[in-house]
Amino acid sequence: MTGIPAQLPHRYPFLLVDRILEREPGVRVVAEKLVTSSESYLQGHFPDRPLVPGVLLLEMLAQAGGFLEAESLHGAAIFLAGVQDARFRAPAFPGDRLRLEVRAAGAFAGLLKLAGTVTCEDRELCTASLLVKRL
Amino acid sequence: MSDLKLRVKEMIIERLKLEGMTPDQVDDAAPLFGEGLGLDSIDALELVLGIEQVFNVKIEDEAAGMKAFKSVQALTDFIAEHAKA
Repeated sequence: MTGIPAQLPHRYPFLLVDRILEREPGVRVVAEKLVTSSESYLQGHFPDRPLVPGVLLLEMLAQAGGFLEAESLHGAAIFLAGVQDARFRAPAFPGDRLRLEVRAAGAFAGLLKLAGTVTCEDRELCTASLLVKRL
Repeated sequence: MSDLKLRVKEMIIERLKLEGMTPDQVDDAAPLFGEGLGLDSIDALELVLGIEQVFNVKIEDEAAGMKAFKSVQALTDFIAEHAKA
């Protein structure tokens, strides 16, 4: 799938999804993010040992979640309303190809619950439930 | 307290992590949102998912939610009415 900028309002330097690999609208999205050593936040996090901040893994999942309902969102943002049960099991490093998988876990009154997993070469780096709101 | 109402209260306390609260302290008649328990829209989603998981009852839309979330008593009645035998 191409046309990520058309489907997500985020832009450089905060567009954190490179490709959509699989998508079942309203059910499941698998996206990909390649972590490059030129990402600005890696300069300071940390100078001797660059690794992706855990909160950015959550942001990647949230951005991937924006593609679940891409048809009805028309490029509008969804906003984070909550994060539950976030676990960071291993860090992500420059050069890693991250697989961002997001499943719809429920919806009510404009709020969606998403179950997200970040993996790299079949290693689970992060799992979390995200609550997002469409405005 | 009816068995179902007790299970509804336990589900609310568990899903919303109302730590330290016991079922006895949840008023049957108090509204769940705003006054009363003071829940918000995120709590509403958690309750909708909890009710589906624990009681196999779906709250389809906001209109159904308005009715079901009036009070613990209303929610218990709603679940009793919609539970599959």
